[in-house]
Amino acid sequence: MNDYYLTYKRGDSIKYVSHLDFVRVFGRAFRRAELPIAYSEGFNPHPLLTFALPLSVGYTSECELMEFVMEKELETEEIKEKLQKAMPIGIEITEVCKGKTRMKKLDNALYIVKAESIPDDLSEFLSLDSILIEKKTKSGIKETDIRADIKNIALKDGCMEMLLSAGSRANLKPEVVINAMNKYIDGYNSGECEYHRKQILDGEFNPL
Amino acid sequence: MNKNLDKILKRVQKASRYTGGELNSVVKNPEDVSIRYAFAFPDTYEVGMSHLGIKILYHILNQREDTYCERVFAPWIDMEEEMRKENIPLFTNETQTSVKEFDFLGVTLQYEMCYSNVLNMLDLAGIPLKSADRGEDDPFVNAGGPCAYNPEPTAEIFDFFTMGEGEEVIGELMDAYIEWKKSGGKRIDYLKRIAQIEGIYVPCLYDVEYNDDGTIKSMTPNCPEAKKTIRKRIVSDLDKVTYPDKFIVPFSDIVHDRANIEVFRGCIRGCRFCQAGMIYRPVREKSPGTLVCDAKNLIESTGYEEMGLSSLSTSDYTKLPELTDKLLELTEEKRVSLSLPSLRVDNFSLDLMQRVQKVRKSGLTFAPEAGSQRMRDVINKNVKEEDLINSATLAFNGGWSNVKLYFMIGLPYENEEDIKGIADLSHKVVECYYESDQTNKKRAPSVSLSVASFVPKPFTPFQWAAQNTMDELSEKQLFLKNQIRNRHVKYSYHQSDVSVLEGVFARGDRKLNRVLIRAHELGCKLDGWNECFKLDAWKQAFSDCGIDMEFYTRSREYDENLPWDFVDIGVTKEFMKNENEKAKKAVTTSNCREKCSGCGAASLCDKKEGCVCYE
Repeated sequence: MNDYYLTYKRGDSIKYVSHLDFVRVFGRAFRRAELPIAYSEGFNPHPLLTFALPLSVGYTSECELMEFVMEKELETEEIKEKLQKAMPIGIEITEVCKGKTRMKKLDNALYIVKAESIPDDLSEFLSLDSILIEKKTKSGIKETDIRADIKNIALKDGCMEMLLSAGSRANLKPEVVINAMNKYIDGYNSGECEYHRKQILDGEFNPL
Repeated sequence: MNKNLDKILKRVQKASRYTGGELNSVVKNPEDVSIRYAFAFPDTYEVGMSHLGIKILYHILNQREDTYCERVFAPWIDMEEEMRKENIPLFTNETQTSVKEFDFLGVTLQYEMCYSNVLNMLDLAGIPLKSADRGEDDPFVNAGGPCAYNPEPTAEIFDFFTMGEGEEVIGELMDAYIEWKKSGGKRIDYLKRIAQIEGIYVPCLYDVEYNDDGTIKSMTPNCPEAKKTIRKRIVSDLDKVTYPDKFIVPFSDIVHDRANIEVFRGCIRGCRFCQAGMIYRPVREKSPGTLVCDAKNLIESTGYEEMGLSSLSTSDYTKLPELTDKLLELTEEKRVSLSLPSLRVDNFSLDLMQRVQKVRKSGLTFAPEAGSQRMRDVINKNVKEEDLINSATLAFNGGWSNVKLYFMIGLPYENEEDIKGIADLSHKVVECYYESDQTNKKRAPSVSLSVASFVPKPFTPFQWAAQNTMDELSEKQLFLKNQIRNRHVKYSYHQSDVSVLEGVFARGDRKLNRVLIRAHELGCKLDGWNECFKLDAWKQAFSDCGIDMEFYTRSREYDENLPWDFVDIGVTKEFMKNENEKAKKAVTTSNCREKCSGCGAASLCDKKEGCVCYE
């Protein structure tokens, strides 16, 4: 099998495209680039693309990771160049490599949150034993404790850097943490926020 | 991105439909152009982006170096609410520029029920609703599309209309704009200048007088520049006219998300209820060579997985076998599926569908339109009962078990027997399934019966006919429902109130402009969406203006001045009258290829240019 993976950035102009639509953008880009991507079997064949971690609508990112399979072997530089040309504005392919990734080991993600207002001190919030938020499920509203999924929050350059659980085991979105901060930190009001994914990491916090 | 806008986009559904940036959307520096043209489709992005006309004109305008054409659609309710709250005026997808800053706002009018959206979009843009109230800095608000053929119900809203096909005339309008700008004239000077271009109608240059009974006494030009009649524009040779080599590829799902090639314009059939069949005459085909080239360009530039053929009746394309052979070669190589709408079901097309779809068998659609032979002759739908039964048998033998049947009720000269015939015919189709060679008879057949209410349209032989009232239509729907005695027939019908309103505006006059504005004030918008349609508000708008809907649904005499009489579509009024008389006697007319009926459309042809009328 001709396994490849690539990394890319998602810019501001394309941040409102949903994950499902984004999958289709990639499928069509391969077709336009006339790169022989491999398809699944069956009545409705779809291109063999695997995304490490969906990105929420409204977020930007510099660390997106995707695996794909080609029908034949090609130079990675050629793939990168052709694919980039076939992409809409706002997607920058940073690297194309041969082989598989460790994406199954994905366990954490690092986000940068730019808020209108930033709390002076987070130590009290981070020392809480439990942080309860209300979560909408099919059966109604449920209370969930997100404390264990907040690995760290640091203040840096006027932004918040949030290290949170990510992936199929547990996934916490930074906007949920912001809601919790608004609820738990006395007098705090974040205002409008911008979210950016900076890194995806494994369970030992090593970047993927 | 604008901060305020960014804030509200986070709160609305499917925000990517407002932000542009799709593949093949055009990027220009607005500073570098002389004309900024906002092209509006007055419905949601999903509907508008599925429309072929917008793609063609977007492409043609943007080919000009001096022009930047951008798109704008009606925002969905949640977005509109946020925009009004944050004072964000209507903006274009490409550059998020306020529409009010543009030189032109061009609107395509595809169906009457979008009129309220036009007003709502003008209001959101901060542009005065009425042409007369616009100032020197406002854009020229203009319209085209099939509803523009009767421009009178929106004549006070739009500054001008384009009658017919826009590919050539839009360039003339832009050239005239550049010259007018240089000359430093007033707004009215531009309008008078373009009033002299064939196909352009400037309503403020005409005065309408009424008789005591509300009918039109006269319509007269009030300045020398205005023409007495406005003749529609057509493109003679479709092989020579520009067709986009790129389509914008939306991020989100839209109604028709595929590459489309336009096979031909016009229709040879001459069904008497059908406006498209008259206004797009004469028939003009593209050659298979051009079409395959169009198809190849689009597949390569879009990456689409599906390709569709566009025309009023695919089966009437004279070179269909040659075209489909060539297209299938291309689509198989590129892993593109071919979709073939409006095919008449016969041996050839079933064979074709087998080849195209391989294993998957979606439903087949038949449109007998009327239930009895007499009624089918009245409407000149040249389909016999045995044709339908043969087609259905072929389909069932071929392994299909789902068919859809389209009918209309409320047609002129209709009686109970004709409606009952719809139920009878559906039952016969079900029987047909059990008598067919369909091997898997354990599976039950499904016959979906879709029944629309007839709406009399201008420029059809039925333009003089009375339209059924809402009560009459509901009664007929119920009558038909009670006639259906087979559980395999699933019956669905359109809302009769929307059909009546559609009919009122289709054959309306200038007096309806007031009603539209009032309806807008009362919150009418997105009338094509069931969840948004407000019948009570519309009724109130009519009563507030002292206007009776029944004035517009009534039957007309031949000698009445119709609001659209000043528009010349090539097909003559004499021909329509003749067709209506034949309808009364249930006499049919041959299609254009069998025998020319002298409709008048041949006068639009320039034989040297490859335009063919089947004389």
